[in-house]
Amino acid sequence: MEEKIICSINGVGIYGVISICIFFAFFTGMLIWAFTQKKNYLDKMGNLPIEQNDKNSNDNL
Amino acid sequence: MNTNIETFKYDNRVVRAFAIATVVWGIVGMLVGLLAAVQLFFPDANLNFQFITFGRIRPLHTNAVIFAFVGNGMFCGIYYSLQRLCKARMFSDFLSWFNFWGWQLIIVSAALTLPLGYTTSKEYAELEWPIDIAVAVVWVAFSVNLFGTIIKRREKHMYVAIWFYIATAVTIAVLHITNSMEMPWSWMKSYSMYAGVQDALVQWWYGHNAVAFFLTTPYLGLMYYFLPKAANRPVFSYRLSIIHFWALVFLYIWAGPHHLLYTALPDWAQSLGMVFSLMLIAPSWGGMLNGLLTLRGAWDKVRQDPVLKFMVAAVTAYGMATLEGPLLSIKTVNSLSHYTDWTIAHVHSGALGWNGFLTFSMLYFIFPRIYKTQLWSTKLANYHFWLGLLGMIFYIVPIYIAGITEGLMWKQFNKDGFLQYPNFLETIVHVVPMFQLRAIGGTIYIIGVFMMAYNLYRTAKAGQFEPDTVAQAPALEKTAVPHGKYSFHRLLEGAPMFFTALAIVAILVGGLVEIIPMFIIRANVPTIASVKPYTPLEVLGRDIYIREGCLGCHSQMIRPFRSETERYGEYSKAGEFVYDHPFLWGSERKGPDLAREGGKYPDAWHYNHMDDPRSTSPGSIMPRYSWLLTQKLETDSLPARLNALRKVGVPYPDGYENGPAQKDLQAQEQKVVANLKQGAVNTEPDREIVAVIAYLQRLGADIKAAPATTASK
Repeated sequence: MEEKIICSINGVGIYGVISICIFFAFFTGMLIWAFTQKKNYLDKMGNLPIEQNDKNSNDNL
Repeated sequence: MNTNIETFKYDNRVVRAFAIATVVWGIVGMLVGLLAAVQLFFPDANLNFQFITFGRIRPLHTNAVIFAFVGNGMFCGIYYSLQRLCKARMFSDFLSWFNFWGWQLIIVSAALTLPLGYTTSKEYAELEWPIDIAVAVVWVAFSVNLFGTIIKRREKHMYVAIWFYIATAVTIAVLHITNSMEMPWSWMKSYSMYAGVQDALVQWWYGHNAVAFFLTTPYLGLMYYFLPKAANRPVFSYRLSIIHFWALVFLYIWAGPHHLLYTALPDWAQSLGMVFSLMLIAPSWGGMLNGLLTLRGAWDKVRQDPVLKFMVAAVTAYGMATLEGPLLSIKTVNSLSHYTDWTIAHVHSGALGWNGFLTFSMLYFIFPRIYKTQLWSTKLANYHFWLGLLGMIFYIVPIYIAGITEGLMWKQFNKDGFLQYPNFLETIVHVVPMFQLRAIGGTIYIIGVFMMAYNLYRTAKAGQFEPDTVAQAPALEKTAVPHGKYSFHRLLEGAPMFFTALAIVAILVGGLVEIIPMFIIRANVPTIASVKPYTPLEVLGRDIYIREGCLGCHSQMIRPFRSETERYGEYSKAGEFVYDHPFLWGSERKGPDLAREGGKYPDAWHYNHMDDPRSTSPGSIMPRYSWLLTQKLETDSLPARLNALRKVGVPYPDGYENGPAQKDLQAQEQKVVANLKQGAVNTEPDREIVAVIAYLQRLGADIKAAPATTASK
């Protein structure tokens, strides 16, 4: 019954198609992006929080 | 090479203010939780005082812990780490303090209004409309401050923690505004714009994502900053953190309907919620492993440093909770766990373990640094750790046992095919010892928090507060880059607004796909011909039901299982709730479901039961509601209430509130009074109990009165 009701919404099928397309495109894009990052850039980013930039600070106690 | 070195100061004052608020509200919120826990085995612990009765302080506890304790902890950590990651002071000191005092004011308003019974009844969104507006204003101030700081930063790259902060800021704004759409009928009360199934879907889309974007994403940001900082080594894999971020924000938003499995929510939405919840295991565990593996080669430090100890336990608890969450979203598991204490155990493994322990580690990290000293007692902090862990185990294990026991007992049939425990009371009395153990666990946990408060106080006393930390960094140059040299990633980092827009798209996709079909046509919810709007007296009774927080223990949603239909009657249909602003399905059963309560007992039974539940149901853990018997029913606002309900779509005839409604009200009051008289109870017609009885007797009556003929448009 619920299927019938949902199907009665004009063009509701497109939601499923759009969802799967967005989902696929999103993850493909994200993975390509993540795996094409250069190693020295990733190292630099990883080290960002532990860099000392405070003058006379005891931030790194 | 840029030689233009700038000197600037990090604001530690606001960090300290948030840190102190975190500790203070943490203690308050947890003590309120303890009071609620004690009432579950000793109902008289409310001292027959309506303002501290379970139904009203349960939302106070959840709001205090989520928004006051974790909220302040989140701001504390963000204000500390953001400045250092951006190499810039916060964008505006005024906004920082506006954020701080505004947030405290909201917390105080919540602490006053929730016990007074001003509640929307929507879980974790109980605050009424004026406070909702205040929350939105303060949140905007926080967001402007956040983005302002990011824009004026001196560090070219945006570290992954900042991404999590951005996702938090924008998503909470979207969630809060969407779920708080309500029609005010007085300066402190309103009705939800949405009804029934729609309301439930929007609420749990919000409720689930409040957990995701208030309790999880900001704290993951904090983890990515404080864990490497405390271990003094970079995060295990920065690449994994990128994947963790995008996968998490994209997937989380779809999972809301897993709170409504087997309810009257359309099946497709339930399946969607379940599938996406299962997928969430991947990014969650990716994040957990990334955190734990950061400590590879540094485990010796964990043995000595309480900061790292708390962090390791917190990240492990995150992993456990995010594995359990998806498992609970599997429909079969959920059919057993839903409405039981299993859910309570699950959220507390997250709250006590992940949020609590990460907050503690952060406070132990920040205090010595802003007071330029060492932690007063590492030994005491270590004791706190073990006490906290012990408290958590003593809390969680009994409640798991209670939850699974409840679920199994509710479903148990005897060999003749009848319910083994037809009386709900039997099942709850059975787990009362577990409630007692849980309170002991909670007490142990709170003792640990007191120890931390003392330790931090002594640390502050021993050191000297540094209001501003001086730092130096080169100004961020806008260097000309030859065409084509920017990668997509650099583009994102260089343009925080573009990044934000992408994050919004990522979170909106899931939300819209779920919600748009529900909004497109009302016929999505099949109407049932015999379901009619509530009468004026029932409206007043329903509002008292909301005020007292009855839905904290009583659901109004019978799932389509034989064990439930045998116990409560016909299962609930979407069409029954079309006039329910807000929906009152509930999420927890400490008492029986009430969806078919109407007509089950005579009016006098309800009267006596409200006066003293143990007089009609020996062993009941329900508190007494004797004030309902004496308090006068407020009817002056009836026209405003009916008018507001009409505006949100309940078809009361025009002008009904001016005259006819009052007549109907009095007639129904007299009817209830006459019924009560038959049961040897004498009462005035203008007492609150009369309205409550009228409402309870209406529950499910429409369906019982006529065969459930559904008529979809």
